[in-house]
Amino acid sequence: MSICSVEWIVLLMFGSVVIFLVPSLILRQGLLALCNFGFLASMVPDVAAWVTLIVFLTSGYLAARLLQAFPRRSVLLAYLVALILCFIVIKQYAFIKPVLPATIASHVVVVVGLSYMLFRQIHLVVDAFQGQVKGLPLWSYLNYQLNLFGLMAGPIQRYEDFSHDWNRLLPLFHDFQSVTKAYLRVFIGVIKIMLLAPPCLEVYEAFARTFLDLATPWKAVVKFALLLYLYPAYIYLNFSGYCDMVIAGASLVGLKMPENFNLPFLSRNMIDFWTRWHRTLGFWIRDYLFNPLYKGMVERWPGKALWLGLACYFIALFVAGLWHGSTWNFVIFAMLNGVGVAGAKCWEIYLIRVIGRQGFKKYLQSRTIGVAAIVANFHFVCLTVAFFPADLKRTWGIFKHVAELTL
Amino acid sequence: MRDRLRHEMEEIFRNVFGDQQLVLRDDMTANDVEGWDSLAHINLMIAVEKRFGVRFATAEISRLKGDGQTVGRLLDLVEQKKRA
Repeated sequence: MSICSVEWIVLLMFGSVVIFLVPSLILRQGLLALCNFGFLASMVPDVAAWVTLIVFLTSGYLAARLLQAFPRRSVLLAYLVALILCFIVIKQYAFIKPVLPATIASHVVVVVGLSYMLFRQIHLVVDAFQGQVKGLPLWSYLNYQLNLFGLMAGPIQRYEDFSHDWNRLLPLFHDFQSVTKAYLRVFIGVIKIMLLAPPCLEVYEAFARTFLDLATPWKAVVKFALLLYLYPAYIYLNFSGYCDMVIAGASLVGLKMPENFNLPFLSRNMIDFWTRWHRTLGFWIRDYLFNPLYKGMVERWPGKALWLGLACYFIALFVAGLWHGSTWNFVIFAMLNGVGVAGAKCWEIYLIRVIGRQGFKKYLQSRTIGVAAIVANFHFVCLTVAFFPADLKRTWGIFKHVAELTL
Repeated sequence: MRDRLRHEMEEIFRNVFGDQQLVLRDDMTANDVEGWDSLAHINLMIAVEKRFGVRFATAEISRLKGDGQTVGRLLDLVEQKKRA
């Protein structure tokens, strides 16, 4: 079932009315669990996917419970390594495919939302190990991982936040205006996904297909600029539309999901960008990758904090970029993001050294510099997103052709 | 007890953020202290852990820089951890 289908919207409208008429919490949870399971069942293609999903979820639950009872670092590390290796094999990343045995490489298992489940799983076992998860009923865990509002593409929610709402399932809105606003947001999401995003992709595809036939430099530059802007526009409209639908939809049944976007194209630099675009991913990367990595390294080599910080910025965003897809184009996307955030930090450190903290404060307050930074960063973001389409050969061809015509 | 803790915390803040004039208040947030970014936050956490002999969980480190979190909350958490 598509999130933009009439069935989904009718089910949401019906469910949001019915759920609060059910008197007991367990029945409300049961109703929502039924929807979660039904939605999942409509998305799982075959037995292999079911088996993978069951093993993935069971292992996560058992590991979290084990770590709650016996918080051993070795158990946590062993589980995390095994989990990530299995994920890489299941996703069949391009860089690992050549070394995979033919029997495994020929079996493609598609599990919807697995990448997002991985984030939730890692967060849960780490927090369980550190004593931050109080209680973990299997019922709550399964609905947390399979919550239909976050199953396909997030937002990535913390277990405690989910559990807080799940153990109440009460209306979040108490006035007609707020409920109307939530429904309106669902429909704005539909408009973004169904009406605004597809033309961006269609025009992009049409331009990209015929780009190499262009012989006039100015036409190539104009079309190149359009190509550069259209794909980010498509991704933004599609993904933020999806988030509008699931966040508003979840709020109508009593679940508050975290926001994923905050005017990302107005970011001043790439560090700022990752706190505004796919925010829950950015925050997850910061909390469960950047922070422990930097902390562990600085505690060992305190004299090299600055360089370690830059390296950690690069590694964290490189991994975040790589997570987006298993093909080689995402390796370039990941590299650009890593360079972007590390570069932004380098620039900040350089400025503070040259003009001092007070000078840097003035630099940040300057309207002209602010606008210039936003424009420059927007174009850098567009450059990174140019490597989002899987056809890397075509993307290189476009860059090469525009360079040949204009330089 | 609380005043002594705040005084020690103030020293840590001054060293981490390189501002010897910095005066801590319980209601201060990350936005009130210049340079309190992700990197500085971890440096601050490491310094606090070292000084008070406590250990923060990943989720606590994240929460301490979240919206609405204050220096007062950090002091509460350190007090709580020292008591435990």
